[in-house]
Parts: sequence; structure tokens; C-alpha cells
Amino acid sequence: MKLLVCIKQVPDLESRFKPNTEGSWFNEADLAWRMNEYDEYAVEQAVQLREQLGDSAELTVLSIGPDRVVEAIKKTLAMGADNAVHIQDPAAATKDPWQIASIIAAYAKDKGFDLIFTGMQSQDRGSAQVGVTIAELLGYSCATTLVGFAFDNGTVTAKRELEGGIKGVVKLKTPALVTCQLGLNIPRYPTLPNIMKAKRKEITALAVADLLTVEPLARTASFHSPAKKGGGIVLEGDVDNLVDQLIGILKDKTAVLR
Amino acid sequence: MFLDLTEEQKLIQDTARDFAKGELEPVAAQLDQGCDRGLLLANLKKLAGLGFMGLNVKEQYGGTEAGVVAFSVAITEIARACASTAVTLSVNNMVCEVIQAVGNEEQKMKYIPKICSGEYPAAGFALTETGAGSDPSAMSTQATKDGDFYVLNGSKIFITSAPYAGVFVVWAVTDREAPKGKGISCFLVEAGTPGLIIGKEEHKMGQHASSTNELLFDNCRVPASAMMGKLNDGFRIAVAELTGGRIGIGSLALGVGLAAMDFSTRYATERVQFGQKISSFQALQWMVADGYTELEASRLLLMNAAWRKENGRGFAKEASMAKLYATESANRACYKAMQMLGGYGYTQDFPIERYTRDARITSIYEGTSEIQRLIISREILRNFS
Repeated sequence: MKLLVCIKQVPDLESRFKPNTEGSWFNEADLAWRMNEYDEYAVEQAVQLREQLGDSAELTVLSIGPDRVVEAIKKTLAMGADNAVHIQDPAAATKDPWQIASIIAAYAKDKGFDLIFTGMQSQDRGSAQVGVTIAELLGYSCATTLVGFAFDNGTVTAKRELEGGIKGVVKLKTPALVTCQLGLNIPRYPTLPNIMKAKRKEITALAVADLLTVEPLARTASFHSPAKKGGGIVLEGDVDNLVDQLIGILKDKTAVLR
Repeated sequence: MFLDLTEEQKLIQDTARDFAKGELEPVAAQLDQGCDRGLLLANLKKLAGLGFMGLNVKEQYGGTEAGVVAFSVAITEIARACASTAVTLSVNNMVCEVIQAVGNEEQKMKYIPKICSGEYPAAGFALTETGAGSDPSAMSTQATKDGDFYVLNGSKIFITSAPYAGVFVVWAVTDREAPKGKGISCFLVEAGTPGLIIGKEEHKMGQHASSTNELLFDNCRVPASAMMGKLNDGFRIAVAELTGGRIGIGSLALGVGLAAMDFSTRYATERVQFGQKISSFQALQWMVADGYTELEASRLLLMNAAWRKENGRGFAKEASMAKLYATESANRACYKAMQMLGGYGYTQDFPIERYTRDARITSIYEGTSEIQRLIISREILRNFS
């Protein structure tokens, strides 16, 4: 059984973000990078399935980006993936979710993956489109926002998180793609010996130009901090007048007195 | 010149940082206050499972074989959250390395995997005595040959992890007539050996969760095969192995210093006095600048010593310089941090007083600052005479 997990390296969210010179995305200088949190759940679930299936399964990890993403790939190899594909693209951050999904689908289409894991969304762009688009392009069945996962006899049983705390269960035939949500599992710490052994696992480097054939469908026009809110309103006058003013504001601008 | 960590070293640093943040930081104050030994041991077990007990130990003995730089950055990250856990790690690693350096194959296979795997929660380094601190060659614990056995008599003090250590490296005098330092040998003594008694626990100023005890030998018989290294070569072994341990303690001190400066600097950007953030006052800005500059210098000294050891270069002077500077600058960082927090820093509602207590011992144990200066100056003066 062939498994694929797609990961993205994102900035540590505690970083100070500054727009780049074009104002179209954040400036990457001096940021600390980590694996996207949702992808960690995807990796953990894929590794658990790899362990459940034993040596009849092969788990490949894929990431698109510049050289720095190799660190995130190596963490995944240390967590238990068998091998990796690094699609080298220094400009991955400028591509829209459609292009990213198309690149992954172009790589995966003739590889015969039975099951693909992705995060529910990335912590930086947050489009939540890549996973479902890959499934569509490959013609795979798909379930999103998984908080529970089981695999038995060719069938995936996925517990999904719905609005308002409600859960749903769907069953999928392979080939399938699932996107993973917080609460699905607790990702393991990679052990140090496995970090050292990951050095010996194969990372295949592919040029993005060989896989990318589509134009973007969306363009990020602007990246900026929210406008600073104006100061509060200071009411003046005697008490009767103040109360009238306050009631007026509460009626006009809030739902408190309707 | 390349000053970046390798990908593996970065991943080890990240793992240590994530573990420290997730598992150690939330309980560090509780460990400091209540001496919850069970919790400390549970965390040590997890750290062993992740491979933190034998960072610079060969894979064949259950080690991680990640090198000395990885060891240093890992200890620093652990110490940022909990100095008591970090010192236990540092000593465990040091004991593994002593056995790996001078033990025979049987001794290595017997003990190192048990320390690395966590089967032994800890391991002990039993050198110091009441009359032999900075001057370990003045020790009086004796090992007397009796057929195929040695009989140990005497006592050790300040032994880290003694109540839960599975094995101790013990130094004892085997030739009373020999010149000072030439008649000491080194033994591996298992916990539970009749005649090995764990004595009273010290009530320390800091690093409370790590137990520090007296160790007594009352006709403690060990087989002659428990001797590690050559007869009467023990003092040389102790001196050589303490050098590596200094990188560990310097790295620990760096972690505590960084924790203190990070906490106080964040505080200074939030605390308002005289109508402005106190970080806008130059007095505090200079504390921030000086504190972090010294810690960065410590880090570079430690990386240099670790890199030299890892690459088979001489590193005694460099390890002493790193230990001296890192531990003293960590103490200064804690002093500044408390000054920045003012009265709050002196209370147990904030972690600065714990950092201050935890940092204080680092310029004392594993060679006082004065001993480090002695080693450094001796190495330098040798080149001038």
C-alpha cells in the first residue's frame, strides 16, 4: 500500500510579520520556520497507519519550497516516513492553491498512491484548498477536517468535525485523500536516533518547472496588518445628557437595546 | 567559516525545545517547590526514550551518536525550562561518555545501554569528598584488594541523582604510598551493592528536583572486574572526563540565563511606570543589551569548545573558558532579570527567583570558576615559558 503525506513549512506564528517590498506577501527574512501544525497531525496519522500495515506499506513525504523545507522533510523522515520528494521551488509562496495542488497532482498521478494525507489548511495562507483540489484532480474520494481515522480492509473510516461541535462519520474507498484537523492525534516527538537515521533516507529532488503546467487562478493583491482602530468615543456633558447619548449609541450601533 | 547548525542539530534542538516547552516548563515550578520525584523520573524516562541520555555515545551502545554540538544545544533547551532535569541529563551523558572512553567492551555493553534506554533512571559520578572538592586527588575513600574483589570504604558527597542512579562511577585510592593523584582507580558500582549506602539528601538553594546526596561505602565489595581503566590511572580519567562535563554545565547555565533574560525582557515591554513601558528607559535597554551580548558570547564559546571536542581537537582550555564565562554570565543575567522585574522578581509568583537559585551552583559544580581560571591560565602560561 502506498501512502503519501504532503507537508508545508510555515513561519513560526510567534514571528513578527512584515510585508515584503511588493506588499503582496510577508518578508521571509529572519523568520523561524516549522512544519505546518495541521500537517503534523497528517504525518502522525500516516506514520501510525504505516506502522499498522508494516513493511507492506511505503510512506512518502512531499514538500514544495526552497532548500529550507528539507529540515521539515527530515523531521517527517525522523517521525517515520520512508522516503521523501522535495519539489524545489524558491517561489512557492507566490503560487496560488490551484497551482500548488496541480504540482502535487502532476507528481502523484502515475504513482498509484492509495491514500494521501494533508493538513486541513496551512497556518500561514489558510486557504484549505490544496487537499481537496488534489483529490479532485486525481479523481480520489475525499474527506476533510478529520478528528478520527481508522483503516481496515481497504476502507477508511473518517470522523469529521462539523460546525457547532457535531461530529460526522464517513467511509471512503481507496484511493482517497483526507485532510487532518487539530484533535486527530498527538504528534510524536521525533527520537534523536531517528533524526540521525533520517540522514540515510532518500530525498528525491524534483524541479518545479517539470511539474507545473497551469497558470494561477488567484493572485494575492495585498498583504497588510489590519488598520489601527480609532480611539474610543469620549462623551461629554452632564449626567442626563450622557445617559441619553449612551442609549442612543447602544440603540444605533449595537444589538444591546433592540 | 560556517556558524550554522546542521539540519540534524537543528532538529535535535527543536525536539528539545518542543519537549521542554510542552512537558517541562509547565511543571518546573512544581518540581522546584514540591520535590515531586515521580514526575522528574517520568520526564527522565521520556527523555531517555527520545535519545537524550547518550547524545555523544555510539549507536552500538544505544546512544544517539549525534555529537557534542547537539549535546550542548539540547542541554541548553532543556535548561531553559528546568535546570534540575538538565543537570541530570548532563551527568547521565557524562557517565555514558566516561564508560565509553575507558570501559572495556563488557562494561560498555553492560551499562551504557541501560543508561541510554532509561532502564536506569540516572547514573552517578562519585568523585567529590568532604576533604576533596577542588582538589579531588586528596580523596580518602579506599579500595583494598581482597582476592578477586576490591573492598571500598569511605564516603562521597554532593552526588547528583544518587537515590535513583542505577550505577555509579566511583573513584577510590588503590595505592596509598603512591604520589598524589597516582594511586587512584576508577570503579563501576551498581546500585544495591551491599555496603553501598545512599546517605542524606542535601537541602540546596536551587535545582531542587535533582537529588544531591552523600554516598557511603561500608566494606562494599565489588568484583575486580568492576575496575574501569587501568589500575592507579583513575585520577587522569576523572580530569579528562570532567572537561567534557564542563561543556554540559556551561550549556545548562546558558539555558537558565536565556530563560531569565527572555522573561524579564518580555516583562519590560509590558510593564508601565511613569506613564511608559519600562523598556523605553535606557537603564533597562542597557541591561537587555549587556545580558544578551554576554549570553551570545557564552553560546559562541560553548559552540567552539563543543566543535573542537567533536572534531578531535584539544578542548580543555576552551571548555574551561566556556564554562567559566557561561556560568558567570548566566548569574549576571539572572541578577539583571530580577532587577528588571523589581519586587515581583523576588517573589515566587515569577520564575526569576528560581532561575537565580538554579544558576548560582553552575559557577561552583564541575569545577569552580576559580579552578577554570587556574586551568585556563596554566594552558596559556605554558606557551609563554
